[in-house]
Amino acid sequence: MKMNTERFNLTVDEYLAETNVLFYLNDAVTQLLEHKEEYTQFGVVRYFAEYFTSVKNGNHVLFREFSYIKATPHNRESFIHIFWKCFRQIGKNGDLLAMSEYSSLLQLLCPDFPAEMVQNTARIVLIDDVTDCLMSFSDFIYSFQIQFFYEEFVESISAIYQDLLSGKNPNTVIVPTSTSVEQLSSSANDKPDVQEGVDATIFCECIEGLCERFKHKYPSTVAIKEILDNTQRVSFYGFLMALAKHEGINQDIGALPNKPDLLIDPEMDQELERLIAQVAISPTSNNNSSSSALGQKEMSKKASPRKSLHQRKRIEMESDGSTEETDSSEN
Amino acid sequence: MSEKRRAGVLVSGSSSSSGCEADQEFVSRSGVSALLAGALLRLLDCRSGDPLGFLAEHFAHLSAEAEEGGAEQRSLSRALWMLSLQHHSQRSAFNSSVRVSYDLLSQCGAGVGGVGGRLYTETLQSLCSEGGLSASTSAPLLRRLQCREHETVPFELYRQAVLTCSVFADYIRKSQCLYAAVASAPDRPAQRTLCCAVLETLKEALETADGPDTARYLEASAKISPAKVAQAMAEAHSQTRDGETMDAQEFEDAAAALFIARVRTVT
Repeated sequence: MKMNTERFNLTVDEYLAETNVLFYLNDAVTQLLEHKEEYTQFGVVRYFAEYFTSVKNGNHVLFREFSYIKATPHNRESFIHIFWKCFRQIGKNGDLLAMSEYSSLLQLLCPDFPAEMVQNTARIVLIDDVTDCLMSFSDFIYSFQIQFFYEEFVESISAIYQDLLSGKNPNTVIVPTSTSVEQLSSSANDKPDVQEGVDATIFCECIEGLCERFKHKYPSTVAIKEILDNTQRVSFYGFLMALAKHEGINQDIGALPNKPDLLIDPEMDQELERLIAQVAISPTSNNNSSSSALGQKEMSKKASPRKSLHQRKRIEMESDGSTEETDSSEN
Repeated sequence: MSEKRRAGVLVSGSSSSSGCEADQEFVSRSGVSALLAGALLRLLDCRSGDPLGFLAEHFAHLSAEAEEGGAEQRSLSRALWMLSLQHHSQRSAFNSSVRVSYDLLSQCGAGVGGVGGRLYTETLQSLCSEGGLSASTSAPLLRRLQCREHETVPFELYRQAVLTCSVFADYIRKSQCLYAAVASAPDRPAQRTLCCAVLETLKEALETADGPDTARYLEASAKISPAKVAQAMAEAHSQTRDGETMDAQEFEDAAAALFIARVRTVT
């Protein structure tokens, strides 16, 4: 168990707020009230036991509304993890999917998942080139993780980036004169290529300032410095892609394995093989599985790419191959 | 449960007043308010590092309690879980967990106050094994702490024994680290003379006696300080007889013996 002893120094309110306990208790009661008769028969105490067990295990986010899924860091992490578990097979088969297809997959798990977030994720993978390019599962999911888990942070640094692009530094008050305005304009016109993106050092300083007062989750500033220290200028989506690829940030979130292990899940593979064998024996029967496997079976059905694979008649490709495909399509 | 699709968007903001009153009535009639208040109080009492897991376990325990059978085993499991919530160095929270676990185990007796001897001994055995101790390492300690089956154990004795087992598990883990430091290379056993010097230093620290607790702790800390240990090793090194070694298990057993010698036998 966690040995962080700071919790003993927190006030009651601080402790409860930090752990989001009241949020889950409120939601548990709300759910209970919506299904009074059913849960009364089931047993109120047993209901609470199962509710919190599912929260603990991370499967409580399945089929819940988007506002619930994004309400706590634990919920966001759990949703990312479940999305990976359900649809990892797509990556394993080497399928490339379009933005709208990833959006549909997300909505299988969360009916009102906003398409806008998927668009923003696609911009990270495709470096702001919003076309109908296809994306590999691994490219998509790590970028999606950054966009979704750190949504508020991404919005804030986007505003900072736009300010820097337009010549404003939020950390500095500049009193422009007509001369300096002309020089800036002239400089921008003369060297358009050199002006791609913003100065990395200034961007880093602004982000650090943001993190000091930020009340939402954000990536560690050590990781951010690592990324920005290696370049003189940085574009917004280039920065987000670097965040998506950063192993330390991925580990901090804790929802996904590192990239080499993304497609490995022995337990799920065994379950899939068992289900496939079962379907082969009696394809029309849905009642053979035990109750304990039922939930996983449903998840596996949703995860199955076989139908879409046949319909699209795609050639299976390695993950590296898909990356090359993405690169060539950019050219 | 939470996986079920919701029929529609939540409209609690616009629900009718009669709906609210019905909800309030349901919550109080079904005991939900008291149930949640009890859970929160328990959570805040122990300040679990894993509050969601704590609540899941708490409600699961209450749910199981409503069913018949296996009460004693369930109480033992729950008592052990309570004890695992806090490290013994967090003394106030640890004592709270000890008290709760004691009350749980006491309920297994046939109305007699206190924990039964057999259950008490089982608890200590489980505590040691969950603390990573092998049966051979913990057996000498348990022989000093255990009670006869028919005896009833008062709280203070129970608390001392639980604390002793927890500290002992920590002590053995640190002894293993100490041996690794003396050996310096993972594939090579440590020199016997160095081990003996370190064990002697450890023994001196453990034998610090007399005076108030605070002074004893400080004096013992000084005796086992890195400088003291290094000095003892340096002196021993100059007298080294090449080739004679001590393996990790022997070192651990010797360190354990030093600790156990300080534990008073119960009864």
